[in-house]
Amino acid sequence: MRQIFIKLAGISLIAMLMPGCATLGPSYQKVDKIPDGMGLVYIYRQNSFIGGGVYYDVKTGTTVITTLHSGGYYPYFAKPGELELWAKTEARTSVTLDVKAGETYYVKGTVGVGFVVGHPHLTIVSKDVGEAEIVECKLEPPAEGTEKK
Amino acid sequence: MLFSRRTVVITTLFVTLLPGCGTTMVVTPEVKPTFNNDFRMKGQIVYDGNRDYFPRTIAEDSLDKSGLVFRYKYEVAYGKDNLPQAIPLFNPLTLVGFPVGEDTVVIVGHMEILRENGVVKTYTATCAFDKKRSMYWEGDTLTELRKKGLIAVRDNIETQMNQDQVFLSKLITDK
Repeated sequence: MRQIFIKLAGISLIAMLMPGCATLGPSYQKVDKIPDGMGLVYIYRQNSFIGGGVYYDVKTGTTVITTLHSGGYYPYFAKPGELELWAKTEARTSVTLDVKAGETYYVKGTVGVGFVVGHPHLTIVSKDVGEAEIVECKLEPPAEGTEKK
Repeated sequence: MLFSRRTVVITTLFVTLLPGCGTTMVVTPEVKPTFNNDFRMKGQIVYDGNRDYFPRTIAEDSLDKSGLVFRYKYEVAYGKDNLPQAIPLFNPLTLVGFPVGEDTVVIVGHMEILRENGVVKTYTATCAFDKKRSMYWEGDTLTELRKKGLIAVRDNIETQMNQDQVFLSKLITDK
């Protein structure tokens, strides 16, 4: 039992430390124009060695918006109103925004300690924090079936 | 001995630390929740959010007979989790339920009652959550906390308005 416990802890540690494999696009570029009647939500994740091996799909409803890797970001245009973004590995995280037309929002993703797999964590950050942190991120490709930006 | 000393220590730590992960909720001002189905005010509503979070003591007056305007807005703010993730990763107490992160959410609801462009009454309610997470327990998501908080704030403002029935009834009759 003790041996199994130690092995599981070791696997968790390795999964958290290993860098993920992802082909990210160009460095962050601010969106020039938000389409009329839409709001802009930046979903981003700072580059980190801790939890770098864990990546997760960020969804709204049943639609995958993007797969969020360490150091990635994705600009999502959303209709005004309540927007729930969620992700799940071993545990589920969810955050809801009140989107207004013409406004910009920042949703930050991180990875926390999990039993076997790191837990995703989404939170809304202020514009100041988001603008400062997203500059080092690179563009995630859109999820399959999503229109390219 | 039935269990080894190590097993007892680990189990004790687990039982002690895991309840430390949980959610605390504080709503102000402190009022005893009531809901009087009979009490309603009518007027023009200025609010563009989800109607589930709007106080039920107010109904839309399409004919605008009362001359009252009810302007409601809310704000939701999220705190920052300052705990670097490297610490729980290498902290052995993480395995027995030591907190690995913290979420704080604050919701503020603000109701203004206006007549002839002047504010005649305001009501404000605040709900704050503090949630600690462990490796085994995530608790409510931020979406669920936001919803609970918006409903708590709505209920609190309804209660404040119910307790102010005498004053508010005069507003309706005095035009």
